[in-house]
Amino acid sequence: MLQGTANISDFERGAPSLADFETEALVLPRASVLQVLYEIDSDDMCALLPPALHPTLPPVVNWSFYRFPDTPWGEVNLAQTRLQCRSGLRPRGLLLNAAIDNEAAGAALASRFGFRSERAEVSLRIGYDEVRGQVEFDGDLVLDLGARDPQPLGATTVQFVSNVHPAQTPAGFRLVQVDFQHVVERAEACQPVLDEFDAEAWGDERIEPSYPISAAYCLADVTLPKLRFVCRPDVMAFEGTEPI
Amino acid sequence: MKFGIFHELATPRPFTAEVETQVVMNALEQVRLADELGFATVWAVEHHFLEGYSHCSAPEVFLTACAMQTKNIRVGHGAVVCVPEMNHPIRVAERAAMLDIVSGGRLEFGTARSSTWTELGGFQADPNATKRDWDEYVRIIPRMWTEERLSYDGGCFSMPERSVLPKPIQKPHPPMWVTVTSAGTELDAAERGLGCLGVATASYQEQERRTQEYHRRIQQSNPTGEVNDCVATLNFMHCHEDLATGAQRGMQFLGMFGLLNSHLLFTREAFPTTAYQSLAGLATPSGPKGGGNPGAQYGVPDGVCIGDPASIVEAVKRWESVGVDQINFLLNACELLPQDQVLDSLRLFAREVMPAFANGGR
Repeated sequence: MLQGTANISDFERGAPSLADFETEALVLPRASVLQVLYEIDSDDMCALLPPALHPTLPPVVNWSFYRFPDTPWGEVNLAQTRLQCRSGLRPRGLLLNAAIDNEAAGAALASRFGFRSERAEVSLRIGYDEVRGQVEFDGDLVLDLGARDPQPLGATTVQFVSNVHPAQTPAGFRLVQVDFQHVVERAEACQPVLDEFDAEAWGDERIEPSYPISAAYCLADVTLPKLRFVCRPDVMAFEGTEPI
Repeated sequence: MKFGIFHELATPRPFTAEVETQVVMNALEQVRLADELGFATVWAVEHHFLEGYSHCSAPEVFLTACAMQTKNIRVGHGAVVCVPEMNHPIRVAERAAMLDIVSGGRLEFGTARSSTWTELGGFQADPNATKRDWDEYVRIIPRMWTEERLSYDGGCFSMPERSVLPKPIQKPHPPMWVTVTSAGTELDAAERGLGCLGVATASYQEQERRTQEYHRRIQQSNPTGEVNDCVATLNFMHCHEDLATGAQRGMQFLGMFGLLNSHLLFTREAFPTTAYQSLAGLATPSGPKGGGNPGAQYGVPDGVCIGDPASIVEAVKRWESVGVDQINFLLNACELLPQDQVLDSLRLFAREVMPAFANGGR
């Protein structure tokens, strides 16, 4: 079977520190959510993941944009790049990096959920013909993607996989499982369009998007619940998962 | 109750010619023994691109070999993927009819539409179209088998008047099935008069509910072809005189199967569509609920035919009591169990378990 082979130190660099495990749930109502999935080149699919995780066939990159109009820190626009993968038998998204336009929110997400992010310009433009997400790091466009030709979907049709955040924790360096919950009010399936992705800027230059899979746009209440599990990064999740 | 064996041709890495050959040869040996022992059917799936999990991309070829090496066991084409990008409907009818002929009328014909993006994406098929297209296949293929000539003007394909040849031996045509992974597909089966070929695990209670509703609805069906009122389910089997040894060996390959299964990218996970209602984790055992903990340890799950003869008889009796007509068994995964253990398990099952059922489970 396949298993991640990446060096753990690759994920430790720049990893946020989780203050403690007693994080309270964070409710973020009325979010606009754009999720786009692409297949990526499979040559390095195991090398992109720590040994705790294993890839999907084919390997997949998952981008998601969130506009949170109402948070304790004001409006927040956030974009994340994840590798869709498996922890044991379960679908997960390994967070490579995120972009956020609200510094206080970024700091809070890092200390409470081990959510790594960088200050950036993040925009989510919502039209009737297309939803478009863009990210600029220091004025450089590093992600530009769209979701065209929206078609209505059932509210429970779009699937979201839980996040896995490499982070320093009170138990040591761990993969922190964060089960983003989405209660979707409205959903649309769209045609994915990728115009720009600077893989190096997102943390791993080996990620090469190769084939479009899907795009979806949703209005949803999003909750980051209390943490339940962390996982040692160096052994398979069956062995390394630790309840909190 | 009847018993079958079910082949995915799960293959260990590295995928060398020797390894691929060994997997197929071992499977064929199991089929020959199953035939001698009185198993009813050997099924072979159709999957594409599913590295390790299933290298059974040309099941009609494998099943032809099975038919040529056996006398009585029926050959289950289970199931042909009814997606035009993968299999043109005319070619499906032709190949299946030829398989029925070379097997001497032993074909069971399963239909499916694929549940993974790995496969659908690989053929650039539209997941939104697969239900609609499958429906056309199950209506038109019986006509291709039974009408001397026909023309067709449909949604996923059309054809001017032609004679689709050869015709199958079985009259009016081989029994037809549809694979069932998600709850609700059994109703699709019933309404079309198709046998219900379960390929994902369900609890006894869930299976009973599905089976009762299936049998009720199929009475009202008015299909194009002949009704096949039958419910088959998939299970894992390893039988040993010693319960602990049987459980240990069986859980070993069951666990491997689940891991291989977890690599697959299910359509619902990657592609938002109402055409796929579940993630359809094929045949993965259900573990302890409520934790979402990937480190949870599994015992032998309820209803799984792994253990000693007595425990397996008990499990099969329960499946029988909820209306299951046939159980098809996976016997190994990635050659994790040595071939002699698999063959011994089959022999013990035939000797100790099958006699506990009417007609010796034949």
